[in-house]
Amino acid sequence: MLELVGIDVHFGGIKALDSVSLAVGTSEIVGLVGPNGAGKTTLFNVLSGTVRPRRGTMRFDGADLGAVPPYARARRGLGRTFQIPQPMHTLTVAGNLQVAQRFGGGGVDRRAQAEILELVGLAGKADRDAATGLSLTELKALEVAKALATRPRMLLLDEVLAGLEVQGKRQFTQLLAQIHARYGLAILIIEHDIETIRSLCPRVAVLDFGRLIADGTPAEVFSNPAVVASYTGVPADA
Amino acid sequence: MTDAGARVDAHAVGRRAIVPALVVALYLVVPLAFAGNLHLMSLVVASLTIGGIALAWALLGNLGGLVSFGHAAFFGVGSYASALLVMKAGWPIAAAIVAGGASAALAAVLVLPALRLRGPYFALAVLAYAHIFRIVATEWKSLTNGAGGIGSIPRFPVVLGYDFSGKTGAYWIVLSLVLAFAIVYRRVRYSDYGLALSAMHDSEEATRAVGVNSVLLKAAMLFLSAFMTGVMGAFNAHYIGFLEPDYAFSGLWTMLPIVAAIFGGYRTIAGPLFGAVVVYLVDQLVFKAVMPIGHQIVLGALLGAMILWSPEGLLPALANRLPRAGARPSRDA
Repeated sequence: MLELVGIDVHFGGIKALDSVSLAVGTSEIVGLVGPNGAGKTTLFNVLSGTVRPRRGTMRFDGADLGAVPPYARARRGLGRTFQIPQPMHTLTVAGNLQVAQRFGGGGVDRRAQAEILELVGLAGKADRDAATGLSLTELKALEVAKALATRPRMLLLDEVLAGLEVQGKRQFTQLLAQIHARYGLAILIIEHDIETIRSLCPRVAVLDFGRLIADGTPAEVFSNPAVVASYTGVPADA
Repeated sequence: MTDAGARVDAHAVGRRAIVPALVVALYLVVPLAFAGNLHLMSLVVASLTIGGIALAWALLGNLGGLVSFGHAAFFGVGSYASALLVMKAGWPIAAAIVAGGASAALAAVLVLPALRLRGPYFALAVLAYAHIFRIVATEWKSLTNGAGGIGSIPRFPVVLGYDFSGKTGAYWIVLSLVLAFAIVYRRVRYSDYGLALSAMHDSEEATRAVGVNSVLLKAAMLFLSAFMTGVMGAFNAHYIGFLEPDYAFSGLWTMLPIVAAIFGGYRTIAGPLFGAVVVYLVDQLVFKAVMPIGHQIVLGALLGAMILWSPEGLLPALANRLPRAGARPSRDA
């Protein structure tokens, strides 16, 4: 479904992504991990079109994404959430979903809106002010709800569990599994919580200093000496 | 039904009844009351002309999130286009006025590269752009007669036996134009496009991530605002019957509407119109009478005081101070 080949991104003299190649299949859940500054969010920004790579190709459902602007990527089925929730502040919860459905999902569908709100736990909060009426957990849920309202075929989830307490993380992980089961979406998720990644993702890719250093099952990846070294700072051959 | 619910319903019914009554009063009572006073009628027509531009300017600011210092360019292009189409191509005035608006929208295409700019950078880019059109109108003598201007521009015709070239006819035309603009503005504002536009102001990345083509929507607001302003320019050309570049592209066609919109409340639909009528009439009838030279100083001081007292403008301030029968303060007037 998604295929990245040789993606390079430079910010001035810093190489944020270095020849990254990654493929995600239909309905596959892939965890994307790595230390802070590894290039995970940059990779999401490349996928959603807000950062242009210096080199490399991106294909989604067989079509080249290179020249496709961000709004059109959403319309093609590539939904994303942000690490820091970015609700449309001037609108209500329902208004956020209405705009997402109208512009990204092909049309407003009140029943689908209600289903999404029910699924993410925001039923009964449709009229809440998105700027001031929601807790952090609810804002995170709204991020996911907005992305779902665009009828995506793939979700890019950027640290959607960050800042949540243990119970909240557990509930949110269950929600993501439910979403995957219900909609059959491909999911690429950035997450620091290794336990969450182990429980949710049959496959994990690891970035370090902009390079993809491992890609495999959680058991393979987390026993990989290069991955251990990237997290501990101790070289594998030390 | 609860008491509060009954009060809100009564308020809504009252509000629905007030609007048609107000429109009838505007169409009939004002001409009946003031038709004999040509000076006053000409001030009312001028204030509504400024109000139409103020509404167009506020639409761009409120929905498009863009502050323009260059609406004089759209006004001037609309006025020249309409006058020249009637005089040189023999177009009927009504069609030429629409074409004047379309010409202003076409001229706005040149502003599109500036849409990537924000805040004061966009405002200054459009200010510079407006000067280009004044220079073109001055130098393109074969078309515009340059600084000598164009005289004897055909006035509004006789329709169904009524001569619209007079003050009352012009009043009905300009009133119809600004009410039509207000209806269009309202429809856009409460559409899905209006929702997306209002969301774009502080969450542009978030709106793009859900499929909103923010550049296209902003461009659409720019074209709509330019069209409205061009129509007002075209109306004015046939109302006064004379054009020259320093008048048609005068910075006053930018500054007065901005003052009116901010004074009245630029985030509301009625505010810019209300502000234009109040500011212009008070300035001309009161301040000018007391202080024939430099009366604009009082206007400037009044605007400064208004911004300090109520940054949202006069209309929202009044609305918040009136008893609202249980309804919460509205910004939708």
